[in-house]
Amino acid sequence: MSRDGDTPVETDGGTVVDDADSGSGSIGGPIGEAYRSLRENEFSVVIGSALFLVVFPYLLIEGMGMLNESLGDPGIGGYEGLASLVLIYGIIVIGFNLLLGYTELLSFGHAAFFGTAAYSAALLSSTAEISFAGFSATMPGITSPIAMLVFGTALATLLAWPIGFMSIRRSGVYFAVLTLTFGQMLYFFALGPGSGITNGDNGFSDVNVGSLLGMVDFGEPVSQFGALYLPVIGNFEIPFLVSLDYVPIEYVFVAVLFLLALTVANRIVNSPYGLIFEALGENEQRVEFVGLNVFRYKLMAFIISGAFAGMGGALFVMHESFIHPATALYWIQSGDFVIMTVLGGTGSLIGPVFGAFIFEYIANVISGATIPVIGEIGSLWRLILGAVFVFIVWVFPRGAYGALVDLKKFLVRAVESLVWAVRNPSEAPGAFTDWLRGVGRGIATWLRGVGRGVTSRVRGMLSLVGVGGGS
Amino acid sequence: MEDSRPTRRDVVKGSAAAGAVGLAGLAGCTQGGQNDGGGGDDGNGGGGDDDGNGGGGDDGGSTEYPSLGNFPVEGDTVTFGFNVPQSGSYSQEGEDELRGYDLAKQHLNNGGGWVDQWDDLSGDGVLGKTVESVNGDTATDPDTARQSASRMISRDDAIMITGGSSSGVAIAVQELCQEEKVQFQCCLTHSNDTTGSACVRYSFREMFNAYMTGQALAPVVRDAYGEDLNFYQLYADYTWGQTQQASMEQFFTDVAGWSQIDSVPTPLGTSDYSSYLSDVPDDADVLVLNHYGLDAANSLPQAIEAGLDERLEIIVPLYNRLMAQAASDSIEGIFGTADWNWKLDEEYTQSFVESFQEEYDQPPSYAARLAYTQTMQYAAAVERAGTFYPPEVIREMEDYEFDNAGLGGELMRGSDHQAFRDVLVVQGKAPGDRDSEFDLLNVVNQTPRDDLGYGPDEGPAAECELGEYGDE
Repeated sequence: MSRDGDTPVETDGGTVVDDADSGSGSIGGPIGEAYRSLRENEFSVVIGSALFLVVFPYLLIEGMGMLNESLGDPGIGGYEGLASLVLIYGIIVIGFNLLLGYTELLSFGHAAFFGTAAYSAALLSSTAEISFAGFSATMPGITSPIAMLVFGTALATLLAWPIGFMSIRRSGVYFAVLTLTFGQMLYFFALGPGSGITNGDNGFSDVNVGSLLGMVDFGEPVSQFGALYLPVIGNFEIPFLVSLDYVPIEYVFVAVLFLLALTVANRIVNSPYGLIFEALGENEQRVEFVGLNVFRYKLMAFIISGAFAGMGGALFVMHESFIHPATALYWIQSGDFVIMTVLGGTGSLIGPVFGAFIFEYIANVISGATIPVIGEIGSLWRLILGAVFVFIVWVFPRGAYGALVDLKKFLVRAVESLVWAVRNPSEAPGAFTDWLRGVGRGIATWLRGVGRGVTSRVRGMLSLVGVGGGS
Repeated sequence: MEDSRPTRRDVVKGSAAAGAVGLAGLAGCTQGGQNDGGGGDDGNGGGGDDDGNGGGGDDGGSTEYPSLGNFPVEGDTVTFGFNVPQSGSYSQEGEDELRGYDLAKQHLNNGGGWVDQWDDLSGDGVLGKTVESVNGDTATDPDTARQSASRMISRDDAIMITGGSSSGVAIAVQELCQEEKVQFQCCLTHSNDTTGSACVRYSFREMFNAYMTGQALAPVVRDAYGEDLNFYQLYADYTWGQTQQASMEQFFTDVAGWSQIDSVPTPLGTSDYSSYLSDVPDDADVLVLNHYGLDAANSLPQAIEAGLDERLEIIVPLYNRLMAQAASDSIEGIFGTADWNWKLDEEYTQSFVESFQEEYDQPPSYAARLAYTQTMQYAAAVERAGTFYPPEVIREMEDYEFDNAGLGGELMRGSDHQAFRDVLVVQGKAPGDRDSEFDLLNVVNQTPRDDLGYGPDEGPAAECELGEYGDE
């Protein structure tokens, strides 16, 4: 921790720090160079994610499955469907974060776009009779996944325009409440007057997902293409290739779209246009003084995030083959997007995806787990989610992803120091005690910070209830 | 989605279909070397021989079936999925369902209760495999229920899912089960659609339905209150309430000769019914409250608080314990129907109530009997079929006649998977006549099944198309 920043002033081991740093430069050699140049690349996050997506289902099912068995089967293993679900929500929160993390607009109504896309994609694929206000029609039954996706996303985007147009005129809480209200209007419409279209509280289940490009069914395992690449690999048993085995085509479809969404968002964030989103979040007035049309940029950010939510909604309904107003449009769904985003961390593009993972994992896996003392989690999962949320937001203000980044930095430092220590055995003990002292100091600082936070919070709460006269 | 999504095991088994030598070898490893990975098997296509379940004894000597859904069952345990509402409007029912399920599991593994009375069951699991279970929370919400069920199917390899309170949930989950070729045993679902327009091959219902409630209730209330009355309905606005109010209208009009003033939907999960109740017109003689669970526990006491019971008769077509307890001071004389009652003087009822009371120190509600019965019936059908292979189990249950579920003779009709059985017409007991807090209802009439029901082409069954077994 003492090595944070290049401040040799701190201790007499300062020079040591420098040595370690130069040492680390030589550790990686050409690989390290390649790694660093990759990091420089704007799309490194996309490339990294692409690699991760290949092993993700494997980690989720085999990795968590093994962990589950080693813990005596409390029921914490993952399963295939979860991988797709996490990515679907990942797409949504990446878009949502463009609005919340960059433009700093907190929308509580994104379920409106999610649900609209879900219902419109479902209806497109359906052959049901629908009726509304005396009109009735038979749905076309277009089952192409791509058509469903495009149709759903398009309608959600179209809806985001007027809702954004009206909501963005207000800011802060008023903006949040306006978006919430629009979302709730759609919810009650779907439940009541629009039930001729949505099938109301019974949920809409006439969802027919056809084959992709007329060739492969969503449910087919990827391994049917195994023959294409396996002869090349021959008889080598590469463990992670097993994941291709029970991964359905659907996952590949979702993963490709996830990468696409990530690429687009990444480009936006790194473009001059995205820079203005960020500037808006930091100081709206200043952007206005520069002469830019603030309203237009905010509206665009809103519409883009609506499109992402729509994309997720359309994929969600293909994944579930079922949609219900409570899942599609209720404000809790909007709130879940906010929770996922903040949980993962709003500061980075990929962060919210971690939030989506934690959220969906707790909702779908932990909710079915049985743990000692408490027993079966069941409906307590929201309580656990709440505890995790409070913990993460309190201890890691930059979210779960921020915590991971810090952890990685720490580990890299540790490895570097270790290498350095091996190379300079004579100086190592001194540097080690020095490092320990530094860590201690770091922890103390951190604890003091937390302590100060607690005291001020407690004082705040007490003053709220009229104790202590406020601070 | 027409084809079932592959589960992990499913695909591991069928991976050899790709002809990929590497993968097949690997799959062989994963399966503990049952398939030698030599690529001789032709995957999970029709009639494949990759059932690979090793020892014939394990699976009752029927190794000839191809894999389907979560069949074959590997190892020496079999997993049932208990998917009940632990939160939401019907969570109280869910709690009692779970008690019934756990008791059934315990009896199947160790004997006791009906296991000792039914010839099909042995008390050492099902087909020699120990029964394990996974639980899930449906939150009384169809989408949550489906997600929970799909976890049970794909991760836990559940061979059978059962549960649900709320017909919306039952219908959503049974559709999923049909796609995944995993059997669903309905628990508490009373909508006509469950075995009507939304029926599926992979689901069976022991409970009666709204149509039968109408048939059982109409003559009784006609005799009690007279003809030429006007009735007004409130109903929970989802599949159950919708079909429930339609059946009430049909039978109160045709059988009782009453006329309906209006029928008004209320959203599921409403907590304040006062505005709906204040709209009840003055010329109404009867108010029908088609609510259930927490909803009914709200609407009935509110109706009585509003003084409606003084100027008209209230009918609650489907009684449940939560509502009866919540409104216990005011249910006196109110008619309704119930699936079953723990006070019935019948041998299977008595033995179930006895073991339930021993375990939980309280008598079971009918939700618990449904849970217990549905699990036992599935287990017995598997034993009779000698295999877990779903199409065989389904065929075993279709058109099965039995009299060992506590309600006398019953028929599980093959054409719509609806049980045809007696229906109890009940009436709330006056507070002074009760033995305990659980003794709330009087059984007025056990309407025999011959007076109820409908032909395979009539009523709800007319719209039913069951779909495929999966081995066609």
